[in-house]
Amino acid sequence: MLLRRETPNLWTLLTPPAVWALHFLFCYVAAAIVCARYPASLDGLRLAIGLATMAALAIIAIAGRQAHRHWGFGSDLPPHDAPTPEDQQHFLGFATLLLCALSAVAVLFGALPALIIAECR
Amino acid sequence: MRVAGSLAPGVFLCACSGPQSALDPAGREASEVATLFWGMLAGAALIWLAVIGAAVFAGRVQKEPIGDRAGLRLILWAGAVIPTLVLAALLAYGLRLMPVLRAGEASLRVHVSGEQYWWRVTYERADGTRIESANELRLPAGRPAEIVLDSADVIHSFWIPALAGKLDMIPGRTNRLVLHPERIGTYRGVCAEFCGRSHAYMAFPVVVLPPQEFEAWLAREAAPAEVPATSTTDTGAFLANGCGGCHAVRGTAASGTIGPDLTHLASRLTLGAGMFANTSENRRRFVAEAETLKPGVRMPSFGALAPAELDAIAAYLGSLR
Amino acid sequence: MSESDAARRKREEAELRAVWDIPRGWRYLSNCNNQVVGLWYTGASFFFFLFAGVLALIMRAQLAVPDGTLVSAGTYNQLYTLHGTMMMFLFAVPIFEAVAILILPQMLAARDLPFPRLSAFGFWCFLIGGVFVGGSIFFDAAPDSGWFMYPPLATDTSQTGIGADIWLLGLSFIEVASIAAAVELIVGVLKCRPPGMRINLMPLYCWYVLIVGGMILFAFPPLIAGDILFEMQRLFDWPFFDPARGGDPVLWQHLFWIFGHPEVYIIFLPSIALLAMIVPTFARRPILGYGWIVLAAVGTGFLSFGLWAHHMFTIGLPSLSLGFFSAASEAVAIPTGVQIFVFVATLLAGRVIFSIPMLFATGALAIFVFGGLTGVMVALAPFDWQAHDSYFIVAHLHYTLIGGMFFPLVAGLYYFHPFITGRMLSERLGRWSFWLMFAGFNIAFLPMHITGLRGMPRRVFTYPADHGWDGLNLVSTLGAFTMAAGIGVLLWDVLRPGKPRAPRNPWNAGTLEWVAGDPSEPWGIRSVPPITSRYPLWDQRDLVRDIDEGRFFLPGAPEGRRETLVTGVLDAEPQQVLRVPGNSFKPLIAAVFIGGSFIATTFHWWTAAVISGVLGIAAIMVWLWTGTATIPETPEKDAGMGTRLPLYASGSASVGWWAMFITMVGDGTAFLSLIFAYFYYWTIHGAFPPEGSPTPDNGLLLAGGAAAVAGWGLTLLARRANGAGRPGLLRALIAGAALLALIGGGLLILAPWQAGLDSVAHVYPATVWVILIWTALHLAVGVLMQGYCLAGSLAGRLTREHDIDLRNVVLYGHFAALTVATTLAVLVLAPLAM
Repeated sequence: MLLRRETPNLWTLLTPPAVWALHFLFCYVAAAIVCARYPASLDGLRLAIGLATMAALAIIAIAGRQAHRHWGFGSDLPPHDAPTPEDQQHFLGFATLLLCALSAVAVLFGALPALIIAECR
Repeated sequence: MRVAGSLAPGVFLCACSGPQSALDPAGREASEVATLFWGMLAGAALIWLAVIGAAVFAGRVQKEPIGDRAGLRLILWAGAVIPTLVLAALLAYGLRLMPVLRAGEASLRVHVSGEQYWWRVTYERADGTRIESANELRLPAGRPAEIVLDSADVIHSFWIPALAGKLDMIPGRTNRLVLHPERIGTYRGVCAEFCGRSHAYMAFPVVVLPPQEFEAWLAREAAPAEVPATSTTDTGAFLANGCGGCHAVRGTAASGTIGPDLTHLASRLTLGAGMFANTSENRRRFVAEAETLKPGVRMPSFGALAPAELDAIAAYLGSLR
Repeated sequence: MSESDAARRKREEAELRAVWDIPRGWRYLSNCNNQVVGLWYTGASFFFFLFAGVLALIMRAQLAVPDGTLVSAGTYNQLYTLHGTMMMFLFAVPIFEAVAILILPQMLAARDLPFPRLSAFGFWCFLIGGVFVGGSIFFDAAPDSGWFMYPPLATDTSQTGIGADIWLLGLSFIEVASIAAAVELIVGVLKCRPPGMRINLMPLYCWYVLIVGGMILFAFPPLIAGDILFEMQRLFDWPFFDPARGGDPVLWQHLFWIFGHPEVYIIFLPSIALLAMIVPTFARRPILGYGWIVLAAVGTGFLSFGLWAHHMFTIGLPSLSLGFFSAASEAVAIPTGVQIFVFVATLLAGRVIFSIPMLFATGALAIFVFGGLTGVMVALAPFDWQAHDSYFIVAHLHYTLIGGMFFPLVAGLYYFHPFITGRMLSERLGRWSFWLMFAGFNIAFLPMHITGLRGMPRRVFTYPADHGWDGLNLVSTLGAFTMAAGIGVLLWDVLRPGKPRAPRNPWNAGTLEWVAGDPSEPWGIRSVPPITSRYPLWDQRDLVRDIDEGRFFLPGAPEGRRETLVTGVLDAEPQQVLRVPGNSFKPLIAAVFIGGSFIATTFHWWTAAVISGVLGIAAIMVWLWTGTATIPETPEKDAGMGTRLPLYASGSASVGWWAMFITMVGDGTAFLSLIFAYFYYWTIHGAFPPEGSPTPDNGLLLAGGAAAVAGWGLTLLARRANGAGRPGLLRALIAGAALLALIGGGLLILAPWQAGLDSVAHVYPATVWVILIWTALHLAVGVLMQGYCLAGSLAGRLTREHDIDLRNVVLYGHFAALTVATTLAVLVLAPLAM
C-alpha cells in the first residue's frame, strides 16, 4: 500500500501527481459524457466533481503526511546530499511533499471551472 | 488592469489599427479580449524584467553571493507561491469571461458554411425566411447576431478579429457563435484553419451597418436580381457557357448551388472570397483565369472563350446589383 | 608472484582497448558503442535541423513582401509542413535521444547503455525514416497538409498525394525508434548507475532523462494508434474520421494532441536538463534546490498530459471542458517557474563565471521566459480564440522552443564540445554567433506577435498588401536571415580544423562525465568508482587519479567481453556485471528491412512490404538469438574492489525484464488509445453499436478469449515446470500455450468476419475490426516468442537457471492477457451495459 510505507520509493514519489491525473481524467471524461449525452444533469456533474475534488485532496493530504514523516518532519533541511539511507529517505520525502503541494494546487485549479462555469455551451 | 488597458492602446494605436486587427476592436468580445491582453502584457513585461534582471545581476553585477537560505526562500516565494497566486487570479478571471462572451439572445441568425475556398452565407430572419448570399457578411450594429457554422468539405475556421475570436467549421458538426458588433465600419474576416492550396485566399469583408440600413440592405438582398434589359447585360453568355450549372442568380434560369450565389454580386465589396476589389476588370480576369489566380479552386478558367463572350459575362456580372 | 602496479595497469588498458576498439573502414558502420552511435545520432539530427532551417528561410523569403511569387502555394505548403515535421520529429526529439546516448553513460560512469544494439537500431531507423521523409521534397512529394495532418483534408487522397502516406509511415517508423530509445534510457538511469549513486545523488540530467523517457512512453503510443487509424482510412477507406459514415475528424485531433502537447515538454525538459548541468558549473557551487528541480521535472511531466485540448480551444468544445484544460495549462506554469527560479537562485548564491555556455544560457532564459509568459496568455481560452492559428502563436511557439530548447542546446554544445571531441570551441566566434542568433531571433519573432494580433493567420503562402502586415513581415524575414548567419558562424566553429586541444575537465565541473580524458580511448571510463556525492569531482579526493589507475570496479576485461555494472534502482548497490553485446551489422540490417517494409507500404507494393517485413523480423530474431541472454562461462566473477558479482540475472533483476516491462507499458498505452476511440465514438453516437448494425458473436469472442487466457495459464505453468527442472514438460506446455494462443487469435478474427462486419461501411465495424486485429496480432507475436523459447530450450540456451527469455515471455503474456480481457470487456460487456 503506497500510502502506508515505512520507506519512500519512486512509486510514493509519483502518487500525488497520479492522484491529480486521475482527478483530471475524471473531470474531463465526466464532463465530456454529460455535455454530449445528458446536458440536463450538469448540476449532478458539478456535485460529482466537487466530491472527487474532496477525495483527491484527502488522498494527497494522506500522502503529504507520510511524506512529511519520511522527510523526518523537517528536522533536517535540504540539500539531503549525503550518501546515506537517511538522506535518501529525507530527500524522497521532501520531493514528495513538494509534489503533494503542487498536485493539490493543480487539483484545485482543475475544480475551479466546475465552480465557475455552469453551462455546457 | 483597467487603467493599463485604457492607456496602453493610446500608445500603440498606430501599430494596432487595421480592418483585421484584434487590437482595434469593433465588437464586445474583441474589446474584452483586447483589454485582457493589454493587462496581461503589462504584467508579463514586469515579470520578464524582474526575472531577467535577477539573472543578469547574478551573472554580471553581483559581487557577494547570497546565502543558501535566502536562495531557497527566493525559490519558494518567487518561483512557487507568487506564481500560484497570480495564475489562480488570472484563471478565475478567464473562466468567468468564458461563458458570458459568447452568450446573448440573437434576433438575427446567419448560417455560414465553409467550402474550399469560399463562404456560403445564409441569413435567417426571425420568421424563418432564408436569404442566400456568399463571401460577405453584413451585420447590424448593437444587435447580437448568432452565427451558425459548419463545413461542406474540410475544416475551416471563422475569424473576424475585429469582432471576436475564431470558431472552427468542422464537417459533421455545427458550432454556434454570438457576435456583438458595436462599431459601424468595414472589417475583414479570414479562414484561420489551414484548408488546402488556397487557404491564403479565403477571406471576406464584414460590414457593420446601422440597424435600419441593415434592414434595408437585407430586404434588397432578399429580392431577385434586377437586371436592366440591355443587350450588353444579356444573360445569354452567362447561361450559354454553363455558369448557371454552379451559380445561382435568383430570378433567372441560373440555379446552381455548387458555387457561390451571384444574385447581388456587383453590390459586394470583393471578388473571389476577399481576393480582389470588385471591379469590372477583376470580374473579367477572375472568370478567365480562376484556376491560376486561386490554386485548387473548383471553378475552371474560361480564358479560352472569345473575348466578346468574356466581356459579355463580365458586364452581366457587373449588372447584378 | 604478483605483477607490479604499472604492469597491471598496462595489461588492463590493453584488454579494455581491445574489447572496446572502434572498428575502421566499412566495419565502422557496425559500431554499437554509445560514443560513436551518439555522435552519428547527434550529427544526423543536427543535419535535419539545418535542412528544416533552410526550408524556413525559403518561406521567410516568400513572405518578405506581400503577394510574393518565389514559390507556389503547393510548394509553400510542402515547405511549412516539412519544416514543422522535421524540426519536431527529426530534430527536437531525436537530439534528446542523441545527446543522452552520448553523455548519459559517462555521467553514470557506465561503459555503455544496457542495450547498445538497440541504440544502433534506433539510430538506423531514424536515419532511414528521416531521409525518406525529408527527401520527399526533392520529388515534389512532401506532405503538404500541415505537421498536424488534420482530416478530412489529409485523409482525402485526391487532395493530398503520397506525401501524407510518407508522413504517416515514415514517422511511425521513427516513433518506434523513439520508444526504443526511451526504453534504453529509462533502464540506463535506473539500473546502470555507479555503486553508491543513490537516487538522491543522481545528476539532475538523469532525473530529466528518466521523466522524459516515461513521458515518451505515454505520449508517443496515442499518436501511433492515431497513425494506424489514419493509414487504415487512407489505404483501405475505413471511415474513422469520415462524419458521413459515423467517424469524426476531431478524434484525430485528440489523439494527435495527446501526443503533441506532452511532446513540447519532451523537447523542453532535456534541454533544461543541460542548463541544470551548466548552471552549477559556472556558478561554481552545487545546484540550490535539487529537490525543487525534481518537483519541477516530475510535476511538468504529469501536468503536460492535461493540456492537449488547448490546441483545440476553437473547435467548439463545451466551455466547461475548455475550463479544465485552461486550468491545467495555467498550472503547468508553476513547476516551470520553479525551474527557472532554481537557476536564478543558484546563480545568485554562486560566484558566476560568465563564459559562452552561460551567455547562451542567459539568452535562453530571456527568450524562454517571454515565451512562457505568452503561453500563460494563450492558456486562457478567450484570448486564445483570438490568438489561435495566427502569427501570435507562431511567435509564441518559437519563443518557447528556441528559448527552451535550441539556445540551451547550443549552450550544451559549447559546454560538452571539449568532452566529445577533446577540443575547445572559440570564445570569439561564440560571441558573434550568440549575438547574431539572439538579435536575429528577436527581430524575426517579436514582430510576429503584433502581426498575429493584427489578424494575419498562420500557414498562408502569401498575404495581401494593405492590411499593415508588410513592414512587419519584411522585418521578420531580415531577422530570420540574421539568425541563420549566427547559425552559420556556429557551424563554422564546429567544423573548422585546428581548434585548440581542451584540457581535461576544462570548466572544472563536478560531475562524472568530465572524468573523460582523451576521447580517443574507447572504453568510456577506466574503472567504475563508488560515488558518495552529487558532485564527485569536487568532493571526492583523488577520484580522477584512482579511476585512471584502475582502482575501482571493472578495471579490466580479462575475458575479452564488454561489461558494465548493474546496480539497484534506489540504493545503487552493485548487483550484476552485465555483458553487453559488441559491434554488429545486425541492427543495421534489421532497420533496413523493417524500414523497407514501411517504405514499400507507402507505395502500395504489398508483396515487397510483406517480404521485407518478414526478413526484418527474422533479422531481429537472429540478432536476439546471437546477442542476448547468452549463458556466461562462469556464474560470477571478481568485479574489482573485492566484490564478486553474478554475470547472469533473470526476472525482475535483469535489465531485459525491465525493458520488456517498459515496452509493454507503451504498448498498453497505444491499445488504450484504441479503446478511447471506441468510447469516443460512443459519446458522439446515440447508440454504439448503432441500431441494426451486426455485432460479432459473443460466443465466438468469449471462446477466443478463453483459449487465449488458457494459453497464458499454460505459459505460467511452463515457467513453473522450468523452475522444477523439467525441460520436457516445459516444451510440451509452451507448445500447448502457443497452440491455444493461435486458436484464440483465430477465433477473435473469425467473430467479426462471420458476423459480416463491413469495415468500410461504418465506423463501428471498423473500430471492432481494428481492436480485434490488434489483440490477435499480440497473440501472434506471443506465439513467435513462445517458439523462440522452445527453440532455446532445445538448443540448450534456456535452462533452469538461465531463463531470462522465458521470464520475459511470461511478462509479455501478462500484458497480452490483459489486452485480451480488455478487448472482451469492451466488445462484449460494454454494449450490454450501455
